[in-house]
Amino acid sequence: MASPATKRRKLSYSDESDRSEGGYDNHDSDNLHSQGEDIERRDIEDTDDSMPDVEYTEEGGSYSIVNAENAATASPPNNEVESHTASAHAKADKTPYTRQSMSLRDGVYTSEVYKSNVFKLQVDELLQQVKPKYGKKKVPAENAMRILKSIIEQLPNRTPLSIPEARASLKSEGVVIPFPNPQPSKDAKYKLQYDRPSSINATGSYPLEIATQTEDSLSIDLVVTMPKAIFQEKDYLNYRYFYKRAYYLACIAAGIKTSKRGAFSISFGYLNGNHLQPIIVIRPSLHGDIDDFASSNFQIHILLAIPEKTFAESKLLPISNSIRPKGMEDGAETQSLSPTPFYNGSIQSDATVSAYLKLLHFTSSKSDAYKDACVLGRLWLKQRGFGSSVRKGGFGNFEWAATVALLLEPDPGTAAAVLSPGYSSYQLFKATLQFLATHNLSEYPYRLYAHDIIFPKGDNTPVFFDGPRKMNILFKMMQWSYSRLQAEAQTTIQMLSDSRFDQFESTFILKTDIVKYHYDSTLEMPLSKLQVDTNSDNYFPYLNETIGNIHKILIRALTDRVDIISFALADEDNWPISSNLPRENQRKTLLINFATNPITANRTVDLGPTAENKREAASFRQFWGEKAELRRFKDGSIRESIVWSTKNTSVLVLEQIISFILGKHLSLTFTENARFSSDTFAHLVPFGRIQGQSGIVPFVPLLNNLAGLEQDIRQLEHLPLQIRRISAADALLRYSAIEIPTSVCPNSTPASIVLQFEGSARWPDDLCAIQRTKIAFLLKLSDLLSAAKPSYVTRIGLENPSQPSQNQSYLDIITPQRFSFRLRIHHDREATLLDRQLKDKSLDGQSRESAASALAAYKRDFLQTPAHTQALQALCTRFPALSPSIRLTKRWFSCHLLSPHFSSEFIELLVARTFLQPYPWPVPSCATTGFLRTLAWIARWDWRHVPLVVDFSIGSNMNNTGLEPHSRALSTEDIEKIRMRFEAWRQIDPSMNRVVVFAATNLDNEGTTWTDRAKPEKVVAARMTALARAATDVIRSEEDNMLTRMKGKAIEPRNMGQFVSETLFISRVEDFDIIIHLPRKYSRARKISSEPQFKNLQLQQGTGELQTTLGFGPAQLFVAELRDIYGEAILWFWDSESFNIIVGLWNPQVTTARAWKVKASWNSLPTDIHRAEKKSKRTNLTDQMADMRVNKGAICNEIKRLGGELVERIEIN
Amino acid sequence: MPSEIRKEQNKIPESVSGFAIFPLSLPSFPSLPKTCADAKHYLYIKPHEPAHPTALDERSLFISNVPFDANEGNLRALFADQLGGSRVASVVFDSSVPAAPTLKRWRTDAGKKDGEQRGKKRKRDEEIVAEGVVEDETSSLPKIWPGELRRSGGCAVVVFVDRGSMKGAWKEVQKVIKERREVQWKGSEGLGVERYRKHHAMKYPPREALQASINAYLSQFNRAELARNRLRAKQRSVPDEDGFITVTRGGRSGPARLEQAEKKKAELEERKKKSGVKDDFYRFQTREKRKEAENELRKKFEADRKRVEEMRQRRGKIRPEV
Repeated sequence: MASPATKRRKLSYSDESDRSEGGYDNHDSDNLHSQGEDIERRDIEDTDDSMPDVEYTEEGGSYSIVNAENAATASPPNNEVESHTASAHAKADKTPYTRQSMSLRDGVYTSEVYKSNVFKLQVDELLQQVKPKYGKKKVPAENAMRILKSIIEQLPNRTPLSIPEARASLKSEGVVIPFPNPQPSKDAKYKLQYDRPSSINATGSYPLEIATQTEDSLSIDLVVTMPKAIFQEKDYLNYRYFYKRAYYLACIAAGIKTSKRGAFSISFGYLNGNHLQPIIVIRPSLHGDIDDFASSNFQIHILLAIPEKTFAESKLLPISNSIRPKGMEDGAETQSLSPTPFYNGSIQSDATVSAYLKLLHFTSSKSDAYKDACVLGRLWLKQRGFGSSVRKGGFGNFEWAATVALLLEPDPGTAAAVLSPGYSSYQLFKATLQFLATHNLSEYPYRLYAHDIIFPKGDNTPVFFDGPRKMNILFKMMQWSYSRLQAEAQTTIQMLSDSRFDQFESTFILKTDIVKYHYDSTLEMPLSKLQVDTNSDNYFPYLNETIGNIHKILIRALTDRVDIISFALADEDNWPISSNLPRENQRKTLLINFATNPITANRTVDLGPTAENKREAASFRQFWGEKAELRRFKDGSIRESIVWSTKNTSVLVLEQIISFILGKHLSLTFTENARFSSDTFAHLVPFGRIQGQSGIVPFVPLLNNLAGLEQDIRQLEHLPLQIRRISAADALLRYSAIEIPTSVCPNSTPASIVLQFEGSARWPDDLCAIQRTKIAFLLKLSDLLSAAKPSYVTRIGLENPSQPSQNQSYLDIITPQRFSFRLRIHHDREATLLDRQLKDKSLDGQSRESAASALAAYKRDFLQTPAHTQALQALCTRFPALSPSIRLTKRWFSCHLLSPHFSSEFIELLVARTFLQPYPWPVPSCATTGFLRTLAWIARWDWRHVPLVVDFSIGSNMNNTGLEPHSRALSTEDIEKIRMRFEAWRQIDPSMNRVVVFAATNLDNEGTTWTDRAKPEKVVAARMTALARAATDVIRSEEDNMLTRMKGKAIEPRNMGQFVSETLFISRVEDFDIIIHLPRKYSRARKISSEPQFKNLQLQQGTGELQTTLGFGPAQLFVAELRDIYGEAILWFWDSESFNIIVGLWNPQVTTARAWKVKASWNSLPTDIHRAEKKSKRTNLTDQMADMRVNKGAICNEIKRLGGELVERIEIN
Repeated sequence: MPSEIRKEQNKIPESVSGFAIFPLSLPSFPSLPKTCADAKHYLYIKPHEPAHPTALDERSLFISNVPFDANEGNLRALFADQLGGSRVASVVFDSSVPAAPTLKRWRTDAGKKDGEQRGKKRKRDEEIVAEGVVEDETSSLPKIWPGELRRSGGCAVVVFVDRGSMKGAWKEVQKVIKERREVQWKGSEGLGVERYRKHHAMKYPPREALQASINAYLSQFNRAELARNRLRAKQRSVPDEDGFITVTRGGRSGPARLEQAEKKKAELEERKKKSGVKDDFYRFQTREKRKEAENELRKKFEADRKRVEEMRQRRGKIRPEV
């Protein structure tokens, strides 16, 4: 089957000569170019295929759909390319993989090549967007480069000098040589020398055109290659190379400084934070000269390189040693010395600059999509906070580009490359991530053309060894950064493999490394705590070593309690060329972030080795010191163990462990300078912190009670019909109620349950009669239950008096343990009868409308709510943090007085989405992350145009075959259908008067079950978004504060205050028009702490009294009547938990004056005589045409009359 | 502020579009903001002249914008005590909170009912509704709300005992407006917490009352069901104005039952599907199928492109978040 192929606009240039100045954003020439080729190619194709071509032209480029017989949809790209190149021999193309083949591949819009059309189109657009607009900005930057180049070329050679001489000589020129630590000894025998560089080139992403605009400022790398002549064979040893390099760099700096041409501001910096490799950083001088390139936002880095093979490559392998201890003879045995991979890697990286530039150039000509793949990788890394610098993890743009290039090389061992040059940019990107995610490079080094090199085990640093260039391109990575990279790659791979949802945003757009969203706990401490001597010669290696040590210790101590530990430290600062190497500011802070495992994070007992296992036990004791105890356990084993206290609930087990173990091994003490923050919002709801292994513990007694009740009901004899099922249908029973259920809270609402009898033909075939029959059943059930178990208290209640065909009755049951339930009977015939009425054309309109709303209510109450409850029960057990996150999010809605406008189920869906599609992060593991990420998603959610789709089955390993059809996972078609339904609603109701937000699940494709009939209304939904945005802004500014602290800078005074999580939960009442204050007596105090009340006091309350107060909420009834009476004129908001205030907004249509009419449906006031008076014909009164508007005063008076003592005070704004 | 309100009140016209504007003074409460202290409620009153006149019209007044707590009692008291003592026979309101139960009716039935049958008491079980029965005191469920309220801005028709009373009341209304006499509104008692407490108690009626009501209901229901079956039988046998016979449920001898017809249709379609030639038999079929699939892909791509285009217009350019 042939499929349409579409040509994507060529984004890069094939020819150097095309790169004329100003031509970078000249799309037209490019269009002509590619269109020309299209025509040429079509000629060829038309000869062998008669299908007409369709061509689409867009501003960005030309899309041509050609019928390509060789673009087989299903075959993997490699074959496709091969078959194509065979047929395309007619084309005079030098490279084997032609542009033509590219276009055909691009045209195959399958998930194989590009995930989905939408994904691909968005990627295309993104690639265009992030390309820097070279053009104008480029000219001054290139001028500056040209000037710099000619300055450096004209620098005179210097005679060789000894180290003290060199220092003095450059000092007189105002430059301090940036010798790396340890400083060279004064009596060194070798001399430092400056000779003309052998070449000066631009390198890095700039000439390759893979730079992106997202970086704060673009840097152009200018690499100066030092002549081989100034080095000796043994210079690679003991820092000699680096001293010579530093001198060379200082000479260039001095030269640029004294040069008359060009005004630059020059400083030294470290290349990628590597203290061995200082570089010159040139910034615009801001003088406005012609050389000034300030407008271009570029900075130029001058890098040093050495010609390849200056030193013997075999001596600089990661497994050799290059730093000899003092006093060691030259010829002595060096095998026993520990290798110095970082040092060697640093030299090799200088020696391979041009080799890598060549490699990347070659690769980009070999694989068309390579450059785009580099840009995608760059964005991915950037959004996750990775960078080439040591402190950012040591995996940045260069490492990505090199990895992709090397993976495209066939491995001689297996003769197959991991990647194929025929891959699309997305495939290259995804396959590289896949490689990173699945290969454990620290256990199994990846070697390319270098199988003879054996890497020592147990070193734990990752190795990706590039044989031809003899370098481990990951030499800057440490164990912690590598495991983080792996984790991120795994998450992304997992996310991209879900083809049903568009993951474009989470892959490239979202900023992922926001601590508050990504991690659950954070330890923030000043560098001074680490007690690394800043004056030490080896400050940087020591610091890195210390961090590595902390990582090792924490990993061992925390075991499976944490999934990821990541470190964040601000980059080193640049320093002026006239000053000494700077000491690092010790006020900078080190951030240690933990992503915890919710099940194990706060486990109280850690088991060690058994007592018989002497060696391990000793090591365990040594590690844990006095904390280790030998204990006998229930199963009879005697093991070393550690027990953590949970008495002081404010200090988490995690914090106890971290502070103990860091104190023991590194003598770090936690004082006020170090802050440990974890789950900072959890205290806002009772039991917000996960207790034990799951978040549902506080609900267990209620559920046990329900199980008991069900059993008791099922055991009843003489029930007229058999019971089919009893299902839970309440937020209390799906672990989602804010307040945890306590036995007997006088005016708590009972938990709803639904009872369904086995089918029977004895039911009447009439809706109203069914309702009466239900009452008869409830009476019977109540009788039998009281007879069988007198400890149950039951009574029958009535509801929905205005809708006789809806459910009329329920049975309230108080169990002996004094939990209360509300039981309704479900009879499935109701749906058929209602549906019949709905379709019956002989009924009048009003009747059919009421049948429609009854049917919706039936489906919601008897079908969807139980199904939703069951799904959430399962999810809450699967994700321990889900229940507290839902409850926290509900509290947020209710504190902002929004909860009456959102159904409880809808809020639950919002939070469930955060857990089921957590991307780009892993599943949240505490209430805070779950809550904050939900808010962030709400802030981003464009509910006007995007439906909420939740698939409860994601990630569960349920086998789909055995399930009922409605609980199956959503397929792509289902999602398509949901979207169509959503769009249909938007067409029917474009002003969104009925359906505002749309939320579908795999249980409910309708999408409007929880949100129909303007629940919420448009204005309320908009307020939700605005509030969520404000909240995320607060979180981001808090994050910025943390970053400022990390850099060791002072925080602006207005941001000084400690961040208080409560701030997100305070609502501004001033925004509303009417504020009704309720007296304390009738409002409920918000319970924050989870302290148990006195049980005996509760039990003293008689059942009779309980019966009168159970479920009694006068404030609730009051506000329901306010809604009924003033439905159209006032929009009411209240906090459905506390009921301390009820606030209202006037409908703007009623506050403005309008022409008077009889039936306004709101209390009105005639105003404004604006027409001539005349005597009425019928009355003897003066009649006028008048306007009317809402009578605010009378309405306030009415509210007071309605509420009586419920209204303490009314304010009007 | 209060003075402003007063000034505004002075500007209130005396009547509008034939409606007398009748101000009512409201009880004062200290807990209200000062701006509301002098607020007045305005009724719009006029003799009742509905589009379809009835015999009661000449002794009725139409009142619009009735207070939310108006009921027959306090409106009667208003006329009796403060408006010349006219005697009110009954009051009909257009709305109530909670709303009155809706009875499902047939279209034809509703039309007929409007005209001649109003006021005439028909025998209960002859009035056929689409579901349930027309309940009386014995068969209806116990009420769960003490008294009704009105939706804000609703209307009422006040029926007086005779034409003279109505005339008298109407005169008095106009006189009060002319003289700017103050008339107090006395709303219903027992609102607020008391009402809610009562409601809470009424929600749980005694089981004996419930049982009795159900028994009465079910026996009435059986009678109504018979009547309904008669109606359906009639519908089955009599063609409507277009000459069609309505398909209704019940009656085996009727033309066909709805469900059966549908089932048959599905069955026929199934048979048709099975007997047809396989659709990949001829070469042109596979070719067409392929073409179709291709078109489908192309269409999908176009749709996706449009979607992305729309997304761009909505959100502006795609930019990685910083």
